[in-house]
Amino acid sequence: MTTTATQDPRGRPAPRGPASPGAALAVLPHVLRGALTWTDAHRAEFALPEDVLEPHTQVNATLKPLGELAQLCSTVRAATAPGTPEHEVAGDLVTYAWEQVSRGGLLLELLRAEPFAAYPYEIYAAFAGYGLRHEGFEALARPLTATRAWAHTEQHANRQLGLINSERRVGVVTHTDAGGVLSRTWLGGLSEPWTFEGPSGYALTHTVFHLTDWGRMPDRVPEKTDAYLRTWLPAWADGCLESGQWDLTGELLAVAASLPGPAPLELLDAVWPVLADVQHATGCVPETGVPVHEDAPDPYPFIDCYHSTLVTAFAAALSLRSLTDGSGPSRERHTP
Amino acid sequence: MYTTDTTATDIELDLDTALNPGEIDGVYRDSRECAYLALLAGGGALLLSPPTPRPKKG
Amino acid sequence: MDQTHASSPLAGAVHDLATEVVLALRSGDHLATVCGAAGIDEENRTGIAAARVIGADLLLPSVLYGRHPHPGDVAVLDRAVREFPPKPDAPAATAWSHWHMISTLQRFAPPPQGATGPGTAVGTGTTVGTGTTVGTGTTGTYAEPDAAWLENAPWQSFTHQLSVLAPLAVPAAPSAVQRAAADRAVDLARGFVRAVRRRDWLQAAGAGRWLAAIGGEPATLGLERGLDFVELMGGHDPRVTLHVRAARLMAEARAR
Repeated sequence: MTTTATQDPRGRPAPRGPASPGAALAVLPHVLRGALTWTDAHRAEFALPEDVLEPHTQVNATLKPLGELAQLCSTVRAATAPGTPEHEVAGDLVTYAWEQVSRGGLLLELLRAEPFAAYPYEIYAAFAGYGLRHEGFEALARPLTATRAWAHTEQHANRQLGLINSERRVGVVTHTDAGGVLSRTWLGGLSEPWTFEGPSGYALTHTVFHLTDWGRMPDRVPEKTDAYLRTWLPAWADGCLESGQWDLTGELLAVAASLPGPAPLELLDAVWPVLADVQHATGCVPETGVPVHEDAPDPYPFIDCYHSTLVTAFAAALSLRSLTDGSGPSRERHTP
Repeated sequence: MYTTDTTATDIELDLDTALNPGEIDGVYRDSRECAYLALLAGGGALLLSPPTPRPKKG
Repeated sequence: MDQTHASSPLAGAVHDLATEVVLALRSGDHLATVCGAAGIDEENRTGIAAARVIGADLLLPSVLYGRHPHPGDVAVLDRAVREFPPKPDAPAATAWSHWHMISTLQRFAPPPQGATGPGTAVGTGTTVGTGTTVGTGTTGTYAEPDAAWLENAPWQSFTHQLSVLAPLAVPAAPSAVQRAAADRAVDLARGFVRAVRRRDWLQAAGAGRWLAAIGGEPATLGLERGLDFVELMGGHDPRVTLHVRAARLMAEARAR
């Protein structure tokens, strides 16, 4: 899997197939369905263990995947049409995750155990944004999120945007202005695009996810940020494809589909068919590396593919929405 | 100096390659995190953050 | 991925020649002979082949400083044109670099009696004679090779091919390649970003040189610092330094 420029025997570059118009729309419904089918079939692996609240339990292997299941499936649900199988499965999965946290009761217990941690609130906000609320959790969170300490939580700027988005979802006054925080992110600083790599790439995608409430509010992307992303996303996605960073590729596609205005057609048409080829017949997508194409019920360990598969479903749902909403000239070539 | 003459065929083959080079293989390497001077290595879960870094086989 | 390793006598000669061009660009000393300093004369076939690889950049110091080239360098370039013409099935890029060598020779040739000046001949971009005053003389017209393929090439291979044709990125040297570059500055800028991310410093330097020559890149690219970075990372290959220095000289000239 490389995107190295190819040449015919006479040395003229051969046009690369993927950029054909309509290529994204041709694969997206199948990609979305496959990723959701895999997730649904593996829902038990998102289940929280009995000792989830114990201090020794790894939150990154328990609460993080479950929170992501809730967050990404709630976006898929919002981006798909009622009555479609995708809409129904996504809704089922959010409900499943809500039951795993005892309809919020477990999150309250978590908050009582770690009242000064931000992550219980962020996980709760994933549900609250979907309309699933827990009165007791909010009662305890309310004074905590009103403290000076909360407003001065030390963390990366992109994650601070995540907190602001969580506050918006829960419906409390945000502890600071999103615009000021955005300007401190790698993306908001309109960083030199040739400094892009994995860590800045993930910082960038999460900046957009938090800013747009996971793709629901594209108009929150400032114009200069939009132009910057439309200009450079193709270059970054190309490198992710060549280096087999499928998870980051999916996140960049979700970003592309979260921009205000027309979908960046050329980019979606060039990249989606490649990611579709990487997707296994069972619907899962590996995080990185050489894809497995052989028949196997579970070609990758859960921990190596659940995130990228959820991201693929999320990006596919947003891309379908973006490609089938409205029309008009793309701003892809607009330069800041 | 490198400019000792070799056979015409060698030179012409080398020349064709030099005039029309293919792309080199891309080399990708990301920055690592160094916890030096960091107060906390991972202060709590990063909800909805990038996949948790894990040692890769191979 | 060391692109400078002298894997062949030709690669070594290219390295030496590029090094001398860089020195001449740095000093601005038009009296020096690039080929002489690299130990290349008209009788040295490997050296002539190296001159074919470096192409019109052999005379780049004169082009950028607006001075007359050393006759020895003109003679070697002329010899390279005649010794290694593109084969009928040669790649388009090879035909283009050959064309550009001829047009550069023409640029420095005194106007033949009764003809228009060489600048005018180059400027028309369609018929370029090498003139009878250059070396032993290659006469006749030489039309621009085909460039339509560049218009439809994906931005990745477009940038790669343009980078191979970086010697064409000089001021006042219009060509279909240069027009294609100007039409696709954003694609070239994306290609620059891609090349840096792949650590293909030579391609990045070539793409950056084109952007410096034509302008129009998105402001967020940060080309100036990007070129500094490329030179520091890839400058062990004198061809990288050559392109970066050419880019800086052109950017400075544009800024004036």
